[in-house]
Amino acid sequence: MFESIVLWLGAILTAPFFSAVILKVKAFFGGKKGPPLLINYYTLIKLVKKGSVYSTSTTAVFKMGPVISCATALAALLFLPIAGHIPVISFNGDVILVLYLLGLGRFFTIAAAMDTASPFEGMGAAREAFFPIICEAAMFMILIYFYRMTGELSFAAYFSGTGTLALWQIAGPSLLFIVIAFFIILVTETSRVPVDDPATHLELTMIHEVMVLDHSGPDFALIELGAFCKLFFYAAILSGLILPFETGIPGTGMLLFIAGLLIVYLVVGIIESTIARYRMDKVPQFVLTSFALAFFATIITLELIQ
Amino acid sequence: MSHFFAAISLILAGGVVSLVFARQHVFSRAAAAILISAGCTWGLVDAVIKLTGAVTHSAAFQYLNLFFLAFEMDGLSAFFLAVIFLVCLLAAVYSFHYMDDSGSSVKNAVTGFFFSLLVVSMAMVVTAANMITFMLSWEIMSLSSFFLVIHNYQQVENRKAGYLYFVFSHVGAMFLFAGFGVLYKYTGSFGFADVHTLPEAAKTLAFVLFFIGFGSKAGVFPFHVWLPHAHPAAPSHISAVMSGVMIKTGIYGILRIYSLLEMPSPGFGYLVVAAGVVSGILGVVYALGQTDIKRLLAYSSVENIGIILIGMGIGMIGVSSRNPLMAVLGFSGAIFHVLNHAMFKSLLFMGAGMVVHQTGTRSMDALGGLLKSMKITGFSFIIGSLAICGLPPFNGFAGEFFIYMGGFKGISLDKIPFAVSIAAIISLAVIGGLALACFTRVVGIVFQGEPRTDAARNQTETGATMLGAMGVLAGACVIIGIFPGWFFSLILSAVSALNLGYERIPAAPFAQIAGHITLGALVVIVLVLGVAALRSWCYRTKPVSQSGTWGCGFTRPTTKMQYTGSSYAFDIIQFFRPAAPLEENHVPIAGRFPAGTRYESRVHDIAERYMEPGVVRPVQFIFDRLRWIQHGDIHLYIGYILLAIVLLLFFV
Repeated sequence: MFESIVLWLGAILTAPFFSAVILKVKAFFGGKKGPPLLINYYTLIKLVKKGSVYSTSTTAVFKMGPVISCATALAALLFLPIAGHIPVISFNGDVILVLYLLGLGRFFTIAAAMDTASPFEGMGAAREAFFPIICEAAMFMILIYFYRMTGELSFAAYFSGTGTLALWQIAGPSLLFIVIAFFIILVTETSRVPVDDPATHLELTMIHEVMVLDHSGPDFALIELGAFCKLFFYAAILSGLILPFETGIPGTGMLLFIAGLLIVYLVVGIIESTIARYRMDKVPQFVLTSFALAFFATIITLELIQ
Repeated sequence: MSHFFAAISLILAGGVVSLVFARQHVFSRAAAAILISAGCTWGLVDAVIKLTGAVTHSAAFQYLNLFFLAFEMDGLSAFFLAVIFLVCLLAAVYSFHYMDDSGSSVKNAVTGFFFSLLVVSMAMVVTAANMITFMLSWEIMSLSSFFLVIHNYQQVENRKAGYLYFVFSHVGAMFLFAGFGVLYKYTGSFGFADVHTLPEAAKTLAFVLFFIGFGSKAGVFPFHVWLPHAHPAAPSHISAVMSGVMIKTGIYGILRIYSLLEMPSPGFGYLVVAAGVVSGILGVVYALGQTDIKRLLAYSSVENIGIILIGMGIGMIGVSSRNPLMAVLGFSGAIFHVLNHAMFKSLLFMGAGMVVHQTGTRSMDALGGLLKSMKITGFSFIIGSLAICGLPPFNGFAGEFFIYMGGFKGISLDKIPFAVSIAAIISLAVIGGLALACFTRVVGIVFQGEPRTDAARNQTETGATMLGAMGVLAGACVIIGIFPGWFFSLILSAVSALNLGYERIPAAPFAQIAGHITLGALVVIVLVLGVAALRSWCYRTKPVSQSGTWGCGFTRPTTKMQYTGSSYAFDIIQFFRPAAPLEENHVPIAGRFPAGTRYESRVHDIAERYMEPGVVRPVQFIFDRLRWIQHGDIHLYIGYILLAIVLLLFFV
């Protein structure tokens, strides 16, 4: 239990670092030196030191948005096995709770954006409300896959111990589909290219960034921290999926986990540097691909597991 | 049962007193509110006590020396009674300040009377123990709610809505009569005791007939057409009762018939899940397309009926595939959602009622920024919205969690049950996501941002009883969401009355699931409070100032530029275009200095659209051909009756 809490805190504290890896990769592809790897910590500290300006249109909901979106991201990490360790909290069905918790965070992010009366933020909110619907369907399809394979409904059963490795041995090809499907969900849920571009300059083309335009100071720091943790959450699942090896040598589990994380962040960075954002109306099709992949993966396993 | 009869007599007395003293406006309203709520409290306490005791109580009276009026209260009846009395109690309280239009005191008194009649008849429907009692109560329920729908009969659209509701409830009742006819043919009695002896084909026929009949009351797609017309027409506390509990009598009927038939046919489960999936997804897509806040809530009821049906279907599949855990999870999740939906939907209708009462408009795009001046209404509406989206730590999540757990049990099955379970789970997920889009839209457009028109400017909230009723419901949503354990034990005794063939349902595994929900809810609350504390610590010495919203460089923004409800939903509606055709109407912009233009959009309900060419016109065609029978000559009419009786004597 103690160990798990330490890992949870460690995950929160290192999440900003990993996000900076993406920036480094993008800088490398752009032929630039790029910001230091600790840039996100500097940003967070800078934001926490500042005060805030609130729009006269806003209400208390605007202030609740950052708090709840950050808290739900932190809560999601509580249920996640980090480097194969048992998570802080785990029970049968916790996966559903976590997905709905992220939904709670989204509700308040959208509500905070709608609070400002800004047409741009409304536009971002409408997109934020739309794309995750398909993501949620794909997520549940992946859950169905995992339930079919393991008969369990908790992250601990999927990603701690040797569970994942056994899965690869039974149903490797279908799991490959799941990895790709999950990567698409990661990209969509965390607002990365090709669904959303965190570095774009035009408000009209933004999703997540435009929704937080009016937040400033510590409020904005909470939003950023929540976003880092959310990305970490998805990346950690993927890391558990792609490098599920259990060597038995103490410490290597953690190293493998970090290596997996770095791979995920590298890939996100490479994609972000090499392809452009999709047109908004193409995004639903892109996200639907992940549902289709997860669906096929489940169908394939029908023959394997009887 | 004596407590039950005392309670409904008290409620009826409230209605009669309100009618007798119709001219004394305040007294009439107060008497109705006090007597009805007192009766409801009495009935509620009695129902909950019966529910914890889990013993069947019954009573019978002779009626016209011909039939027996029989009543029976088992776990299932007691649970529905509790929900009915709870919501009606709060609606009665709410009505005191809501019906304060002293100019129409007689009309209000009449509405008070029919309201009491509706409560009584709903209570009788869920306790009826034979066909006569059931149909009698059912008809009183349909008729009294019809009179409530046409409360504002001066407006032609309300009369139309009432007419549509009248037709639908009676076509539905016709299917129920047919269903009871099938039962009577085989059992030869008006009682329900021997229904399980029917041959299999008759059982299937009866189930389908009852499903259509009850489905049209519950608002199952495509029999939901009356709902989005009738709910906006009725006064808001009536909409709360109709949407919160009256349509649930349809769910009660389906559950009751299922338990009476005792036929674990997998087909029933597939039918119910399919109806649930379609109602659920289309209900919420149409809800997204609405601009009238009460119409939107009515469509959202169709969606929630869909969720309840999905739960019931999972339960039925569990029974037919001999998976008791799945069966109990599915049924209990569905019954739990009945309670939860009653709570948050009546809360939302009451909140919408407050908005309509104060601003005088139901059009969402005319509102905005109400949260600043209507704090209690706004925040309880937000709580209701969070609950209806099924988000933790609110009650909607608790109910859906059980349905999910049941659905996932079906994933381990094979072939059709497996495929149906996939459909159930995925559509629950999609419904959840769409509901989130739908209710962030309502909250964002109506309560947040800036007022879009003068109607929404400087409005306050008034009426202590209205605010009190909403506060209680919002509190209930939170409490049930965090501590579902005790409520779930009540639900289990309702499920055990379903006669699923399991002697005793062990409480432990379900208490464990409820415990997990509590744990999850508490974790969220602790983390949110922790982060909030961290936030206020960060702000302790910081300069905080106010300014306008950042206009992205544009310096002269107006409130008209805000995102509207239609634009918010546009992309999602486009995605569901085949099922939700979008009709747009606007004058194109032309020239260098374009003149003013207008834009209009409307989302069509395919059931409503195809009802006219598919049902109404063929029926009209046939009846046109039969018009010669109706000629107005009374002698011949008597002749028809005689002829019919003689023919019946020959054949029966």
